[in-house]
Amino acid sequence: MMQLKAYKNELIVGLAFLLLIIAFSYKQIQVSNQNNASSGAATSLQELKDVIALKKIWGDKKISKKVDKLKTLVSPSKIKWQRQGKKLTVSFQGLSAQEFNRLMIKVMNLPVEIQKLEVHNTGSVYQVEFKCKW
Amino acid sequence: MENTKELILVHADMKQVSQEYNNGVNIMLTPQFYTTKREEIPVKYSYQAKRIVPSLFDGLLENTEEYKYFVEKEDEEWLCIAYNPEEIKTILEQKGILPEQVSKIYFAEQAAGQFIHPVLLGDKEALVNLGGTMTIVPQIALNSDEKPMQITQDFTPKKGVAFEGRGKSFISTNEAYTLAAIFALFAVIYFVEGSRYGGDGAAEEAEMQTLLENYPSLQSSYTRKSIASKYKAIDTKERKKRDVIKSLSHMIFKGSKLSSLSMDDKRFKAQFSCKDASVTSKLKELAKKEKFNTSKIANSNDLKIEGTL
Repeated sequence: MMQLKAYKNELIVGLAFLLLIIAFSYKQIQVSNQNNASSGAATSLQELKDVIALKKIWGDKKISKKVDKLKTLVSPSKIKWQRQGKKLTVSFQGLSAQEFNRLMIKVMNLPVEIQKLEVHNTGSVYQVEFKCKW
Repeated sequence: MENTKELILVHADMKQVSQEYNNGVNIMLTPQFYTTKREEIPVKYSYQAKRIVPSLFDGLLENTEEYKYFVEKEDEEWLCIAYNPEEIKTILEQKGILPEQVSKIYFAEQAAGQFIHPVLLGDKEALVNLGGTMTIVPQIALNSDEKPMQITQDFTPKKGVAFEGRGKSFISTNEAYTLAAIFALFAVIYFVEGSRYGGDGAAEEAEMQTLLENYPSLQSSYTRKSIASKYKAIDTKERKKRDVIKSLSHMIFKGSKLSSLSMDDKRFKAQFSCKDASVTSKLKELAKKEKFNTSKIANSNDLKIEGTL
């Protein structure tokens, strides 16, 4: 007891330092817990957002309408259109370079599964066969 | 608790103490080890008086920085005592009392009222109360009919002082309290910061709930997984097809023209007609960058580019 009293000052500093270490450890544990919890919740949230985004693109109910707009790109005389439900087979004949570019940009932005794409160029005229489903 | 300890009167002629005070001891100092003043100080609290006291001893003490001060309110006046802890420690060690064994130090002046008779200090001197002030006088100056007395534990005053760190300490009390305060302050900051963390991703959870309310069909994780796996496969494959078409479109430049393109679910094949060999070579380089396979059409500058999806 006397020995402890002799080092009272050191004991006070030691205890305060111990308190500091405990507080620091507590903070670190809290930070770590939050990071784990946040990263778990953030991962789930990101997964959900991904599913929603994918569904919005590939499960869009307006795809049929969007596909039908392909018909408006060129003169109907150049198109052979055959659509059955959610499947389309279309061929474009005698397209100019401009029409061909317009068609390709549209096709690339359509959320459909391209089953077949055939392009043939003769002189300045393009022929395109396109088969897709959605 | 302190007052139950033995009280020893320490004076200059005191004999060496042979006893060890393992449970601590209180000591009372004679005026040989301190300087006293009684003053009327217009303050209420001792901490205020302590600030003024050093100035009262101006000119009375040498090496004033070595001194510490003790104040105690008496009836009208303040009892002010200046003492040198290092000097006291040295004396105690000479008398066989280790400073770390000393619990409290008291001054005879504090118990002046109880010294109704002289207390003999060795063979030559005596401690007496002269008009309320404790004084050392030669024993021959005492009246022969005056009976000397001994001090007892009852002389122990209420208030005393202690050695800082009881002699062995490496850091002073002030330093210890300052350090402890700094550590405690940081500890509080860390506790407060820590309590602010410890969230459980509540913001993400709330956002997730909102999304699930808007898309009730995705409530089930099984459905989510099923939809994700279905569309992810389509997404990856279709993006690849479109990337290929985009890459091939970048290969159309002056002197290079797309002759044909064929693409299905598994592979693609494109043929470019090139104006000359240098265009063919440039096209080949571009195709190589995209990791497409190339083959030159015999007897022409045309290039066939193909690959899998």
